Amino acid sequence: MANLSVNHLLGIKNLTEQDLQLIFETADNFKEVINRPIKKVPSLRDITIANVFFENSTRTKLSFELAEKRLSADVINFSSSGSSVKKGETLLDTVNNILAMKVDMIVMRHSSPGAPHFLSKHIKANIVNAGDGTHEHPTQALLDTFSIRSKHKKIEGLKVAIIGDILHSRVALSNIFALKKLGAQVMVCGPNTLLPKYIHTLGVKVELDVLKALQWCDVANVLRIQLERQHIKYFPSIREYSLYYGINKSMLDKLDKQITIMHPGPINRGVELNSDVADSDHSIILEQVENGVAIRMAVLYLLASSKRAA
Amino acid sequence: MSTLIKSAKIVDPGSKNHLQKKNILIDENGIIKKISSESAKAKTVIEGSDLHVSIGWFDMKANFNDPGLEQKEDLNTGRLAAAAGGFTEVALVPNTNPVIQSKNDVKYLQSGNKNELVQLHAIGAITKNCQGEDLTEMIDMHHAGAVAFSDGNKPIWNTDILLKTLQYLQKFDGLLINLPEDKYLTFFGTMHEGPTSTMLGLKGIPSLSEELIVKRDLKLLDYAGGKIHFSNISTRDALKIIKKAKQKDKNATCDVAVTHLLFDDRILVEYDSNFKVNPPLREEKDKKALLRGLMDEVIDVIVSSHEPHDEECKKLEFDLADFGMATIQTFFPMLLRATNNKDWIDLIPKFTTNPRKILGMEIPEIKTGEAANLTVFDPGELWSLDATNNFSRSKNSPFYNQQLKGKAVAVINNGHVFQW
Repeated sequence: MANLSVNHLLGIKNLTEQDLQLIFETADNFKEVINRPIKKVPSLRDITIANVFFENSTRTKLSFELAEKRLSADVINFSSSGSSVKKGETLLDTVNNILAMKVDMIVMRHSSPGAPHFLSKHIKANIVNAGDGTHEHPTQALLDTFSIRSKHKKIEGLKVAIIGDILHSRVALSNIFALKKLGAQVMVCGPNTLLPKYIHTLGVKVELDVLKALQWCDVANVLRIQLERQHIKYFPSIREYSLYYGINKSMLDKLDKQITIMHPGPINRGVELNSDVADSDHSIILEQVENGVAIRMAVLYLLASSKRAA
Repeated sequence: MSTLIKSAKIVDPGSKNHLQKKNILIDENGIIKKISSESAKAKTVIEGSDLHVSIGWFDMKANFNDPGLEQKEDLNTGRLAAAAGGFTEVALVPNTNPVIQSKNDVKYLQSGNKNELVQLHAIGAITKNCQGEDLTEMIDMHHAGAVAFSDGNKPIWNTDILLKTLQYLQKFDGLLINLPEDKYLTFFGTMHEGPTSTMLGLKGIPSLSEELIVKRDLKLLDYAGGKIHFSNISTRDALKIIKKAKQKDKNATCDVAVTHLLFDDRILVEYDSNFKVNPPLREEKDKKALLRGLMDEVIDVIVSSHEPHDEECKKLEFDLADFGMATIQTFFPMLLRATNNKDWIDLIPKFTTNPRKILGMEIPEIKTGEAANLTVFDPGELWSLDATNNFSRSKNSPFYNQQLKGKAVAVINNGHVFQW
């Protein structure tokens, strides 16, 4: 069986196109599994996985936990909002304490960009990055591209617009890396204050007008406004943001084609996305959630089997 | 105890012996007794395969963290690390706890000088606690021996404070040193803003933050008079601005940290906090411009910008780790590597005569009858920095356990010899 080229899933940046295809093919199988009456397989029996979340998370954590349980792994959870340093213990100490209890894999969310990379230099367990600050959220990008692939039957050549707060978004960065590796064209759109100045160096188009972005794209991935990650004011008010960057049904009706609307959740309804869009047939938001479990099963399975092979 | 430096090439552009191989005999009182081609007998002999000797090296910017942060460095470990790096004199920034902001603080730093090889010079703080708001008693510190004034690792962000300081220091022709950084543009920044920071998802520190302040400060200098020295220039465009100012004979000088000559921001892709420094490592174009700036005399001084940190402050997530790299002991091999071992001899004035000139200090000479203030170094010697020879209390150096080429093998000053 083919293996991933990496021992950890730190980011999409570190994966090859072959890795992405392997994860998709494995996720195809697991998607079939989780739609069976008996949704559980014994693949990760005797593997212990710790979900270590230093930042609040509901859906990502649920999705990982479900993926782990569907694979029959033993699961433990550790949550601490805010950084562990503030509590007097370093990240390395916290994780080493967990690993001392004979844990095989760590799924970690952390507010610091590069925290899983830092960890990977000091521990032996496989690490899955479940979001590191404003850097990457690789499983989200995998489930997003997997969902685009399911809906459009291809990714290469598609035009994908990522709309919203690009500056504070790990979803945007991971999606850009994944989409570019898979041959899609990518555009980012949002208020200029929420676009990194050098984002064009990643090979993406930049657009400030949301209507133009919608006209251009086949798929619009609409991001959450990350108020919790903004230390400084980037736009004057939520009201003005929703007026000029929010997407509603009448905007979609004006387009000469049907585009796909995605959102990583949770949606700020009425801010970046109106309910008439979120709940419309344009939207594949709930498919994304379903695919999330299959993708995470695929990632955990592939990392665990590469370790077993070694 | 007499000392002989055997067959060393003298690097001293002003002297008739420049680039000549000589033996230098120093008597027990630390006075240069004889410079000649013949050998002589002495108790201590310094020899090597490719020895060079210059006047003692002067580091114009270092942190020794004493008082207050002695877990990182103290005056003793700092002195040893400096000596091992080839420095006989070091100017210390005031960012200690408490900050160096009174005559007593200045005297504390100088207190060991009488009996020590490495001479420490105090740079007094401009504002209380280096917070940028209220002026310190700078005339008093000047009389106690402070060699310049600066908030050290922190910028003078308040325009009015910079103006007042330029005016105030003119009474005694004092030097203002500023780290040019517009802090409103650098909030939460952890590395240089550019393609690499975008890829790494790290908040960037734009080059603009340095360039704006260099421009601002030069305008203030026009208005107020006085003299200014820019600390740790890191961007190509800031250098261009300074070059123009120098062509107009403005009273402005600048330095660069050896780290910025050697590395650029691409080295951060692994999130190694050893490379987290402020100003941040910039892009390759900046690094190249800095090297050119040294050769065409826009940059006056090279500093170590030594910033030791204990492991607790560095072995952390990148954004939580402190800024700074321990560099004083590896200064010379870093410089050799940065220059690709070419033309480095021409750069020696930038850490011997130039800092002393800028600070208005006496320049030692390699001459019979003069007190020996010398650094002996071998550009070919291989060594590695490790637990057995790291004199600093900290080890936040990317060169730890790495092989290095070029070593300052001995320093001689104030009647003492340090050889390792």
